[in-house]
Amino acid sequence: MSSASTIEAPSPAPLLELRGISKEFPGVKALDDVSFAVFPGEVHMLLGENGAGKSSLMKVLCGAYRADAGEFYYKGDKVAIASTADAQKLGIAVIFQEFSLVPHLDIAQNIFLGREPKGRIPGTIDRRKILADAKRVLDTIGFDIDPSTTVDKLGVAQQQMVEIAKAISQNARILVMDEPTAALSDRETDLLFALIARLKADGVSIVYISHRMAEVFALGDRITVLRDGRRIDGVRPADVTPDQLVRMMVGRTVDMSYPRNFADKPGEVLLSVKGLTSPTGISDIDIEVRRGEIVGLCGLVGSGRSEVARAIFGADPVTSGEIVFDGKTISGEPDVAARRGIALIPESRKSEGLALLRSVGDNLVVSALRKLFPSGLFDQRSAQRTSDSLIRQLRIATPSARQAVGLLSGGNQQKVVIGKWLAAGAKLFIFDEPTRGIDIGAKSEIFALIDRLVAEGAAALMISSEQVEICHVCDRAYVMREGRIAGHLARAELTEENIVRLGMHHA
Amino acid sequence: MREAAVVSQPNPLQRIPGVAIVLVLLIALFGAIAPGFLSVANLSNVLVQSTILTMLALPMTLIIMTEGLDLSMGAVLTLTSLCVAIVSLATKSMLLGLAAGVLVGAAFGTVNGWLVAILGIPPFVATLGTLGMAQGLSLIVSDGQSVVGIPHSVRDIYSSTLLGVPVPIVMALVTYAAFHALLYHTRFGTYIFALGGNPEALRYAGLSPNRLLIAVYAIGGTMAGVAGLLMTARMNSGHPTAGLGLEFDAIAAVAVGGTSFERGNGWLLGTVLGVIAVGVLRNGLNLISLPSSVQVASVGVLVIVALFLDGIRSRA
Repeated sequence: MSSASTIEAPSPAPLLELRGISKEFPGVKALDDVSFAVFPGEVHMLLGENGAGKSSLMKVLCGAYRADAGEFYYKGDKVAIASTADAQKLGIAVIFQEFSLVPHLDIAQNIFLGREPKGRIPGTIDRRKILADAKRVLDTIGFDIDPSTTVDKLGVAQQQMVEIAKAISQNARILVMDEPTAALSDRETDLLFALIARLKADGVSIVYISHRMAEVFALGDRITVLRDGRRIDGVRPADVTPDQLVRMMVGRTVDMSYPRNFADKPGEVLLSVKGLTSPTGISDIDIEVRRGEIVGLCGLVGSGRSEVARAIFGADPVTSGEIVFDGKTISGEPDVAARRGIALIPESRKSEGLALLRSVGDNLVVSALRKLFPSGLFDQRSAQRTSDSLIRQLRIATPSARQAVGLLSGGNQQKVVIGKWLAAGAKLFIFDEPTRGIDIGAKSEIFALIDRLVAEGAAALMISSEQVEICHVCDRAYVMREGRIAGHLARAELTEENIVRLGMHHA
Repeated sequence: MREAAVVSQPNPLQRIPGVAIVLVLLIALFGAIAPGFLSVANLSNVLVQSTILTMLALPMTLIIMTEGLDLSMGAVLTLTSLCVAIVSLATKSMLLGLAAGVLVGAAFGTVNGWLVAILGIPPFVATLGTLGMAQGLSLIVSDGQSVVGIPHSVRDIYSSTLLGVPVPIVMALVTYAAFHALLYHTRFGTYIFALGGNPEALRYAGLSPNRLLIAVYAIGGTMAGVAGLLMTARMNSGHPTAGLGLEFDAIAAVAVGGTSFERGNGWLLGTVLGVIAVGVLRNGLNLISLPSSVQVASVGVLVIVALFLDGIRSRA
């Protein structure tokens, strides 16, 4: 890979330069010695996988995070960005995916929130001036709308325009956009691109985070690729191909190998999903999972992976399609799916998977109450026996079954969730980010446990943003993109590069 | 670029029906079945009696717009009403009595705001706590007895008129005008919309949501103090249970009036209509001699019916 020195600056001096930025969170190095320069009037694309450090870099840039190490230079002068106010003073504005607008105020009030023109009576607002000022700002970005329109009446694209108008009204010289086209239609995207061209012509610099290859090449003047919190390379679009970019993004360092005993021959079909469509934005999903298999479900965050899991489990409505589980068609409610033997182990196990204040024992038997006590009467001793045997079987590290689950480590909490479903007789385990927030040692234990489950005739569907993990433990994987299955990768084709290529917006 | 601006303009008239339909129906109902309901004397009585609730429901609207709640309002009103009675009795001055009530109310409101904004206690719990404190203090300062023999200057507030309009109604109108100006024409009012709608936006704008939140609760307590004067004047005494359950009526009026409990959307005129609807309901049920226990239940039914109507209309 070429080094940064091979890139020539489009203009002699960068507007803003970050040097050697590091940011650490407990257990994660979000940014590691990242340097990054923005030149006047350029569109600078920021590229990287989920968790590569794009968002962290963006937050450091706008003062929401304070860098642990590193220096900032504005037009060559050393400056500090320790707060959002500092960033604002330097003319840095962020257009967040979650808009910072107030729904029941009008456009003008939103643009000038906190900077309202004063009226004659102290404390009041000069209504005529605020509308006129807003109109002027909206005109400069070519957005033709009445500034007294309430923001909650606007569509996503229009709200984005108001956000941009707000930034421009603060004399922003550097606009940071986080996947701005994610929620836009093709037509709205064209309008946004036209606006970006216009801002560029006015000398505004744009830092643009994107997952769509087409955009990267259509808009970008320069591209910075991040991986594992490090800056991998800076290139010009003309000098690279999409495939080269993908190769820069993947190749995360593997800290250890995960245990997996692949079966010679997969078992019978346990789950078969055909044409599944849900109003949550997924459509035409075909998935098959056999006994003895761990099947990966990958794609970018927001590509619809969790929605597929929720639809199969019955937690989201299904508008069309068929789900056949263990030979029978299922539809409807999560409790039906659970009784048939489908377990959904959600990403947010603290809020959705466990009662944190209750004991390990209580949590282990809670889903199995109907099975363990068909009469409806709770038998303390039999519950104890069940939970004790699960604690032994899953090697849950807890002083006793009476320990509150919230006091266990992340890995052991995850084991309790798995144990809970095991007790309920689950045959298919759907994992959503099973290793999120779990340390490396515990990860391999979790995978060993999943491996044992499927070896004993169960099956697993595993959603993960950790492509290394998918490649190591899965028999095969589906890759999603924008609510659809973009492709299927057999064991032999299962590489990070292939996953990223299918998951990104280019063929 | 031209963006098709096909958005419907905010039209407050669109929202009137939910509460206005209910109000018209109630007036028609009691006009038909309650003898004397439609007399000028009775209707004026309904309005005068609604003034105390108006003074609680208007600040309650602001508090609910911040996704908050103030359960302590009724109990704080009881306490401020007693303060007005005791201080005016001791000093023979209505204004000193009012000052005492307003000070105590403002103090309670500030404490509420501080508990919610700085300590981060959920409003329901924080104001339930101060409700208990205000109730206990009321019993202590009054020794459980009514405070009687207060000066005429206090009682006259409730019964006198200004240019033919009862003074309590003048006070309520002035209060409404002040709240209207505050919410829709000042910077502070703009920030109240943001407190419930998107507090992050305030932070990005360099404003302190916490200070604004404390101010909103402080306004609520202060208004409970002003309403305390009216309550003492109305009863011609201070009574240790005077404001019992008024917070329920105030929250009901705000809900009936179409203020949303989420995302910072409030409507002051709707609140006033909601207050009148509650007043008409209680007055009408009184006239047909239903016990007050039924009245409380019927206010509950009113809330559910009004919100149900709004729900249907917003779906349609």
